[in-house]
Amino acid sequence: MRRERREQLQTGLMLAPSVLLLALFILLPLCVVFAYSFALRDPYGAVLPGFTLDNYRELVQGVYLRVLMNSFSLAAWTTGLCLLIGYPVAYFIAFKAGRAAPALLLLLLIPFWINFLIRISAWVVLLGRGGLINKALVFSGVIDEPIGMLGTVGATLVGMVYAFLPMAVFPIYAALTPIDRRLMEAGADLGAGPAETFARVTLPLSLPGVLAAALFVFVPSMGVFAIPVLLGGGKDIILGNLIVQLFLEFRNIPVGAAVSILLLGFSGLGILLYMRALRRVEAMK
Amino acid sequence: MSPSLEEPSRPKAVVELKGVEKRFAAFTALRRMDLTIREGEFFTLLGPSGCGKTTTLRLIAGFDLPSEGQILIAGQDVSNIPAHLRPVHTVFQNYALFPHMTVLDNVAFPLTVRRIGRAERLERARAALDLVQMGSFAARKPSQLSGGQQQRVALARALVNEPRVLLLDEPLGALDLKLRKEMQAELKAMQRRLGITFVFVTHDQEEALSMSDRIALMKSGEIVQLDTPTGLYDRPANAYVADFIGETNMIPARVISQEGDVTLVEAMGTRLRVSGNHGHVAGAEVQMAIRPERVSDDMRETENSAEGVLADVEFIGTDLRMVYRMTDGSRVVMRQQNSGRAVPQLGETRRLGFRQQDLRLFGR
Ligand SMILES: Nc1ncnc2c1ncn2[C@@H]1O[C@H](COP(=O)(O)OP(=O)(O)OP(=O)(O)O)[C@@H](O)[C@H]1O
Ligand SMILES: [Mg+2]
Repeated sequence: MRRERREQLQTGLMLAPSVLLLALFILLPLCVVFAYSFALRDPYGAVLPGFTLDNYRELVQGVYLRVLMNSFSLAAWTTGLCLLIGYPVAYFIAFKAGRAAPALLLLLLIPFWINFLIRISAWVVLLGRGGLINKALVFSGVIDEPIGMLGTVGATLVGMVYAFLPMAVFPIYAALTPIDRRLMEAGADLGAGPAETFARVTLPLSLPGVLAAALFVFVPSMGVFAIPVLLGGGKDIILGNLIVQLFLEFRNIPVGAAVSILLLGFSGLGILLYMRALRRVEAMK
Repeated sequence: MSPSLEEPSRPKAVVELKGVEKRFAAFTALRRMDLTIREGEFFTLLGPSGCGKTTTLRLIAGFDLPSEGQILIAGQDVSNIPAHLRPVHTVFQNYALFPHMTVLDNVAFPLTVRRIGRAERLERARAALDLVQMGSFAARKPSQLSGGQQQRVALARALVNEPRVLLLDEPLGALDLKLRKEMQAELKAMQRRLGITFVFVTHDQEEALSMSDRIALMKSGEIVQLDTPTGLYDRPANAYVADFIGETNMIPARVISQEGDVTLVEAMGTRLRVSGNHGHVAGAEVQMAIRPERVSDDMRETENSAEGVLADVEFIGTDLRMVYRMTDGSRVVMRQQNSGRAVPQLGETRRLGFRQQDLRLFGR
């Protein structure tokens, strides 16, 4: 009995620093934002203490719903593309790359060592009218003169996929590697061709990884703001830059806080859906 | 070969390996293997770990391709036929059941991929499960089964499509002794009943002896002897076989002379007559082999005898295993039925008899 207590105390002490850190830098600011989302403001943008639901009520207006839809569709497209591209990449690294696998995984990580904004700015240069891609296309005769790629949805998606692809590859890779190859051999042995073995054995067994990948891409995609602004020209307002605008340009901190809480709610919903789907997939085993 | 020239009693070949060689980089796992497996037989690949048994099975199944040589299944060269189109199924050593499917779906898998209608598929899968007495476990997941049950499901899954050849890679390796014995008998009975050719891999010589029609004993990528169980046991081709199959006393001996069918040798401090072992020149140093159960202390029917001191007695239930130290220092194990007779005292000197047809000579 006493020993149990002492062990509990020890565990508590060991956890204390990280709990404190989390509380201080995540929970506390969150509480502040949460409180602001119910606060009032004076005409000059200063936050006034008080309680109102008006900030949330404002969100049901058409403009905000449009923004929400924009964000959602961008996140959905990004997620879909990342899964479509990331799965084959992960599959290749897990099963075909052999000894090159660690090097390939490292290659996927290296961009993270360079500042995010710099990497996206590089894409601005690449996709520009005088950029490398246009030059190459003109040179090779595919097109006659440079085309405007910057400021299109395509450019935004290129940047989004570029930014989030590793988030899709890693969990899928992690789900694929532990699959016993003999299960695939068993599929072939029992008469299933490669495509059918993949559809009936490999893919179902890697679903937890696919779900995690979808979560890892979708949730941060909902909150981006730099990529659509830099590459897509910021024509379609999305949640991320809406929050930035509300806080910094319109100095409407309470509504900005409400949008933030809404975004947080969506992320939470995503995680909840993921957990449910995962439980379903795990129940198959 | 035209069919009329074949002996009618001899079933035709269903799997043939012709000069098959398998190399992994610089390492040769199989050396120029020639092998014919006949229709309907229980064929066993036996050998120590790493001798190439699994490699051989994987080549037949089509998971790997031979570096050289040809493999024929039912007379057809399968070199260019991928695994999923070969008429063989495998029971894997770890069973390789699909963890995300129920037992029934696992067993129905070979039928599903052949686009067999749902009703017939389920009926045949259920029948296969009943065959291995797993009918009541159809709805479970593989993870909810014991090792022995998983093994049965793997067997049902491999049998449901009635393959020409069933490949079994140490299917009983993970089972405890009692279950293992049971499954040996069941497997053997099932093979007889279904008439499917079994190619069975094991490193357990007792298992091989008790189940097989024929056994290929392998050693580092080569077949050392291919024979029936009795042939392998009673007429081992060399000292390796004699030592691997069953227990054998290996006694150093020297050839004195050869007279007709009988070779005279000096061993265990005396002279012994050995019949039916030709080709050893006088003066040659050889190994003389005899099975422990063929050594006897009943002198009535033996031509040869030698004296030894009882050094150890081991009680193994039905049998007694007695170790004698002979006058030249060599050890001889004698195995006798536990008939309830009095056992000699340790240290007692006894005369042991060796029949000349039970002794075998191998070059050293
Ligand atoms: N993919 C491979 N790459 C390199 N060497 C291999 C490979 N597969 C097998 N070998 C080698 O070939 C030899 C034969 O292997 P194999 O698996 O056929 O042995 P085995 O007789 O089945 O042994 P065990 O009883 O331990 O299963 C071994 O020495 C093994 O190390
Ligand atoms: Mg093996």
